[in-house]
Amino acid sequence: MQRTSRTSRILAGSFALPLIGALLAGCSSTGTSDSTAQSKAPVTGGTMVYASGDAEPTCLDPHVGGNYPQALVASQYLESLFTKNDKGEIIPWLAESTEVSEDGLTRTITLRDGIKFTDGTKLTAEAIKANVEHLKDPNTASSTGYLAVGKVVRVEAKDELTAVLKLSAPDNALLESLSMPWTAIESPKALERDQSTNCASPVGTGPFKVKSWEHQKAVNLVRNDDYVLPVADTKRTGNTAYLDGITWRFIPEAATRYAALQSGEVDVIDNAQPDTISTAADSGLGHLDAPRPGSSNRIELNSSKAPFDDQRVREAFIRAVDANTGVSSLLFGTAQRSNSLLSSVEPLAYSEESLFTTDTAKANTLLDEAGWSERDEQGFRVKDGKRLSLRFPVSTNQSVPAEQSLFEQFQAQAKAVGFEVKIDLLDLSSWYGALAEHEYNLVSAPYTKVGPSVLRVLYHSDSTVPAPSGYFANNAQVKNEKLDKLLVEAEETNDDAQRASLYEQAQKIVLEGYYVLPLYDQQNHFLYGKNVHGIGATTAVSSPIYFDTFLDQ
Amino acid sequence: MGTIAWAGRKIGGALVVLWLVATAIFIAIRLIPGDPAEAIMGGPGSQASAEALAAARAEYALDQPVFTQYLLYLGKLVTLDFGTSYSLKEPVTKVMGEVLPNTLWLSLLALALAWLLALCFAAAASNSGRFGSWLGSLLEIIAAAVPHFWLGAVLIMLFSSALGWFPAVDNGSAQGLVLPVLTLALPLAGFLTQLMRDSLSEALGSQFALAARARGESRLTLFWRHGLRHAALPALNLTGWAFSSLLSGAVVVEAIFARPGLGRSLLSAVLARDIPMVTGIALFSALVYIVVMALAEGLERIINPAGEQR
Repeated sequence: MQRTSRTSRILAGSFALPLIGALLAGCSSTGTSDSTAQSKAPVTGGTMVYASGDAEPTCLDPHVGGNYPQALVASQYLESLFTKNDKGEIIPWLAESTEVSEDGLTRTITLRDGIKFTDGTKLTAEAIKANVEHLKDPNTASSTGYLAVGKVVRVEAKDELTAVLKLSAPDNALLESLSMPWTAIESPKALERDQSTNCASPVGTGPFKVKSWEHQKAVNLVRNDDYVLPVADTKRTGNTAYLDGITWRFIPEAATRYAALQSGEVDVIDNAQPDTISTAADSGLGHLDAPRPGSSNRIELNSSKAPFDDQRVREAFIRAVDANTGVSSLLFGTAQRSNSLLSSVEPLAYSEESLFTTDTAKANTLLDEAGWSERDEQGFRVKDGKRLSLRFPVSTNQSVPAEQSLFEQFQAQAKAVGFEVKIDLLDLSSWYGALAEHEYNLVSAPYTKVGPSVLRVLYHSDSTVPAPSGYFANNAQVKNEKLDKLLVEAEETNDDAQRASLYEQAQKIVLEGYYVLPLYDQQNHFLYGKNVHGIGATTAVSSPIYFDTFLDQ
Repeated sequence: MGTIAWAGRKIGGALVVLWLVATAIFIAIRLIPGDPAEAIMGGPGSQASAEALAAARAEYALDQPVFTQYLLYLGKLVTLDFGTSYSLKEPVTKVMGEVLPNTLWLSLLALALAWLLALCFAAAASNSGRFGSWLGSLLEIIAAAVPHFWLGAVLIMLFSSALGWFPAVDNGSAQGLVLPVLTLALPLAGFLTQLMRDSLSEALGSQFALAARARGESRLTLFWRHGLRHAALPALNLTGWAFSSLLSGAVVVEAIFARPGLGRSLLSAVLARDIPMVTGIALFSALVYIVVMALAEGLERIINPAGEQR
């Protein structure tokens, strides 16, 4: 599935406009409202009300912690050095150009001239230095951005606009890492303020700026009147956003959020649920489907303990469930079945459909072969007096009700071949606790990151070693020396073709080892009112930017 | 017993209860699995370094022995210092102070509306026939039994999505208060009506009521003059309880209607394992409960001084 990114704006020449229209129609089930956007002349003015279903961030600076809700709001006021075009290629944004040394250990980034933060500070190489240092400072408590710049040892400001990044090892994912809002560039002057002040009013170069934050009510954003679009856009007449501002609200209840959109109390909602998306078109609402980059949504099978330490049992589980039917019926056709470890927006995603076709006869044979041939009085398979039982902790925070229903369907299908699946619905803290304690055989834990290097985070054996908090990213517990080697080489090579080939080999090892049951892309759906136009541009992590958006007056 | 002695005993009792609550919270929180330092460093799943976690432990005195932590905690509570919120990095009292008026206002309005509705229902019930009375008690039971989240969703569907009369989410206007107040008030009104109706029919069936009827007083006058005074007492007695039930209902209602308030703070604090915030709100709720109960008892002493001898 294609999606537009902000960079579609910078495509040269007059064909840029129809291309955007076509892409939007392709990714949206309600393309009609987008075509009206094309015919309508943009109007300046008006404040758009945005309703997020996520928990209100505790800090508006996405350097701190670093989660998706922060990225969604920060995409309006912070910008990154790099971004992605509609082909999924990384291109410069605040940066003008970049080059890397032969040994891959020195990355030089030249910045665009004439870009200012909303506090008047100029964007310079010193700012890049200050931002990387901010991410690496333990007091910032950065989690996502800190990992993204993990290989950057230090930054030197060679001259006003040239920053030189010294790396501990070659990192061909660095530009992808620097395209994410979690490493966005903030005013170095603003970063000098204490953390709670910077959390309440981070200062960037984006089309909007933070005016105020009324906790639990709204983050009030206003247009940045001095905005300079880093890459000129022939389609745009002015350089500034059309909207006067955005009122960024938090409405945790999905039903309330949708009701507020229908009644016109809010203009855009995120976390739109499958059932509402399927009826939205009838109500004349617009729909933006922007799957997140990084991993797909998939169930990981914990291979470090019985019964999934046996590949035959893993394959038996995967063959026993019917994901195709479940995904299309329970998600109302809003999500495409994936057979890949990576999101469909990743150009290097590799799919292998034949591995994941349902085959209950094969599942039964595999389980018999693996020694799970007896059944107890309830029909569950037994070996050495132990039942074939699986623990499946599910985070109610990450798995929407439709996904929970899908898992329940899998539970019933797996029972037919003799698996007992125990689903535990848990709040986020308890869920992370269960993972840290290894109290799981199955788990669904999506991971958002730009580029295929997410594979190293998720499947390298180093990622089975827990962080001090107990967190580890390799939930499937894949420990494979050959795979480790491939993943490291893939990240260090400076040859694109070799990179693609290495990542394909790596993906094959994981897929063919039946460590993972891929389901669909990480869902990221937005609905908007009839009065809203010009929605579609996103950052590299698929968070929408409302620079082109305007409202009927 | 004199009023001063009564008040002194109340205050002493309240302090003991608060100390017990504070201690129970302290123990309960230590029993929750998970590292508080992790909650400080961005919550569950954080990938904070060992260095950052150690710094957080030192800053929040989590590296001290448990008993030292307990004493530090009590010492701070005495000075009304609930500490700094792990997730918001701001003093708990400041965060609570910002949102408290919203929750108090919502609860007081709901309490007032519930009383008003209960009085009307009770009056109507005392003046209706058998079928009306049966229908009334059925409605009361339904009203008292519906959960807030269900009622809130139904009211939004009806009055916001379908009819468009009231906004579904808070927008700062008085209209935005209508649905949340109704959601909180209806179940309570059902409950209060049930209470009043029993004592009301008892009062209206008593000797003095018959005598009054014989003197030619109308049913309505009888209701207002005699019945209500008797009927309201048990309901008034329970108002302390009712008010604290509204505070807990606010957790749900504030989430459904996206209103700022203490309930929403509590919910996000629990999910983020924000211990100082949870402690602060729990202690504050205990304090409100104690104060409202004492006020209700005081009010009862005024309305019904004879009750003292009971």
